[in-house]
Amino acid sequence: MADALFIGFGGLAVLVILIALRMPIAYAMILVGGIGVTLLNGPAIFMSQLKTLAYGRFSIYDLSVVPMFILMGNISTKAGLSQDLFRAANAWLGWLRGGVAMSAIAACAGFGSVCGSSLATASTMGQVALPELRRYNYSGSLATGTLAAGGVLGILIPPSIVLVIYAIIVEANIVTMFMAALIPGLIAVIFFILTIAIVVMVWPNSGPKGEAASRQEFLSATLRMVPVLGIFGLVIGGIYFGFFNPTPAAAIGVALVWIYGAARRLVGIKAITDALLDTAKTTGMIYLILLGAEMLKIFMSRGGVPQAMAEWMANSGLAPMTILILLLVSLILLGCLMDSLSMILLAIPFFWPVLVEINGGDYVNAADAGFGMTSEDLKIWFGILALIVVELGLITPPVGMNVFVISALARDVPMRDTFVGVAPFFGAEMVRVVILLAFPAITLWLPRLLSG
Amino acid sequence: MASRDATVRAGPSGLARSVIRGWALAGGVVLLLIVLMNVVSVLGSALIGRPFPGDFEMTEIGIAIAAFSFLPYCQITDSNVTADIFTSKASPRWIALFSLVASLVALSFGALLLWRMWYGLLDQKSYGYETTILQFPQWIAFIPILISLALLVLASLITLRESAASIKSGNLN
Repeated sequence: MADALFIGFGGLAVLVILIALRMPIAYAMILVGGIGVTLLNGPAIFMSQLKTLAYGRFSIYDLSVVPMFILMGNISTKAGLSQDLFRAANAWLGWLRGGVAMSAIAACAGFGSVCGSSLATASTMGQVALPELRRYNYSGSLATGTLAAGGVLGILIPPSIVLVIYAIIVEANIVTMFMAALIPGLIAVIFFILTIAIVVMVWPNSGPKGEAASRQEFLSATLRMVPVLGIFGLVIGGIYFGFFNPTPAAAIGVALVWIYGAARRLVGIKAITDALLDTAKTTGMIYLILLGAEMLKIFMSRGGVPQAMAEWMANSGLAPMTILILLLVSLILLGCLMDSLSMILLAIPFFWPVLVEINGGDYVNAADAGFGMTSEDLKIWFGILALIVVELGLITPPVGMNVFVISALARDVPMRDTFVGVAPFFGAEMVRVVILLAFPAITLWLPRLLSG
Repeated sequence: MASRDATVRAGPSGLARSVIRGWALAGGVVLLLIVLMNVVSVLGSALIGRPFPGDFEMTEIGIAIAAFSFLPYCQITDSNVTADIFTSKASPRWIALFSLVASLVALSFGALLLWRMWYGLLDQKSYGYETTILQFPQWIAFIPILISLALLVLASLITLRESAASIKSGNLN
C-alpha cells in the first residue's frame, strides 16, 4: 500500500510538471491517470474500462445541463440582452455618484442570470458599459476594475457551469446548490455596489454623477428588462419550485433567449452557427477535462492519496475551521495559476474527503460533527465558499483572465490600473467570504426553506 | 500562415479542417435537437399531461454524441485549456515543442480510445444493450462517436505537423 501511495504522489508531481509545461490540463490528467492506473492495476483492467468509461462519463444525465447552459449563454451574448439590462439599470441607478458603474454591476448580475460564464459576462458587458463609463469621465481604473469584477458575479448566480460541475464531483443535488448560491450571489451584488459608493466617496473624481433619466426613459428602459427577468424567473424559478429538472429548464432557457434574439432580429443563422461553434469549443474542453478528472480519480483513489491526505489532516490536531481556511487559501493561490473549472476538478476530489473526515464521516449527526452540521450541509456550504474563492483568480495577477479580457477592450487603460481598480472589489470579496464562513446559515437557509 | 481561423486554409489539411468544423456543427445540431425534444417534453406534460417518451435516455445519448463530436474541433482550434503562466517567457520554438508533445498525447489518446471503443461497440452489440423505454440499441450511438474519435486522430495529426513546422522555422503560426 505504501508503494501505491508513493506512486500516487509521484503521479501528482508529474501532473503538476506537465501542466506547468503547457500540456492541456485535460490531457495531462488523462496521461497521468491512464499510466498510473496501468502501473497499479496492470493494463488488462484499464483497457477493459476504456471501452465504456468515456461514454459513461459523457452520457451522465446531470451533465447535460452544461452544454445547454453554455449554448444559452452564447446565444444571449448575441441577443442584445446586455444593452437592455444596462439601460434599465442605468435608469434606476445612473443619477447617483458612481451610478453608471453601479449600473454596470447590476447589469453584470442580470447577465449572469442567463449566462453561466464569468469571461463571457465580463466581455459582453464590457463592450456595452465601457464606452458609457468613459463617456461620463469615469477614471480608467474604476471603469475597467468594475467590469472585470462584475464578471465574477455570474459564478454564483444560477445558471453557473462551475457550480454544476462541483455538484457532480461531490454528488450534491444540483437544485439544492442552485438554491444555496442565490443569497451569497446577491450579497456580492450589494457589496460591489457599496464598494463603488465608497470608492467614489474617497475619490470623487473617479466616478462623476450621471444624468437622471427622464420619466419616459425610466419607464421604457424598465419595460425592456421584463423579458430578461421573465427568462430568469421561468428557468431558475421553475427549477427552484420543482416545476422541472435543470435539463429541461436549460432547454427552455435556450429556446427563450433564441426567440428573444430572433424577435429583435439579432440572432439569425450566422449567429446561431457562431454560438454552436463556441459551444462546441467550451463543451468539448469541459467534457475532456471531466474525463481526465475521472481517470485521475480512479488512479488516485487506487493509490490511496485522498484517503492518506484526509487521515493526515484529521490527525494533524488542527481545528476544523483552521483546516477549512487553509483549504480555501490554497484554492485562492492555485486559482491564480489556473482557470476555475480545472481547479475545481483538480482540487475538490482531494479536498472534499479531508472535510468529510474531519467532520466525522458521511452520516454524522450535526451535534457530533466537526463543523456542527451534517456532511450534506457541509457539502453545500463548502461548495459556495470554494466557488467564490476560485473565481478570485480571475481578477488577481498573474493570470486574471477577466482583467485581460477587459484590458483588451480598453486599450488606453494600462493593465496595472485595471488591477488597481479591481483591488477594492477583491477586498469586498474577502469580506463576503468571512461573513459566509462565520454564518453558514446565510447559505443554508434558502435550500431548507424551499425544499421544506 | 498568419491566420488561425479554422476554415481558410487550402490543401488537404484545409479540407480536413472544414470536415472537422462541419462535424462539430453537426454535433451542435444534435444538441439543438435535444434542446427541442426537452422543450416539447415540458410543453407536452404541461399542456396535455404527456411528456416526450424516453426523453431522459435520449438526452443522455444525444449529449454524449454531441460532446464527442466537439473533441476534434477543440483540438484544431487549440481550445483545450492550458496553464500558460509558467511558460509565458518561453521562446516560440519551445512553445511549439510543448504543443508538439501535447499533440502526441492527444494523438495516442484518440487512437487508443478509438481502438478500445470499437470493442465497446462490439460488446454493446453482442450483449444487445438497449435503452429502457424506447429500446434504442446503444451500439448505434457508438458509430458517430467512433467517427469523432477518428477525426480527433486526424486533428491531432494536423496540429502535430503544424507544431513540427513551427519548431523548424522558429515562428508561431
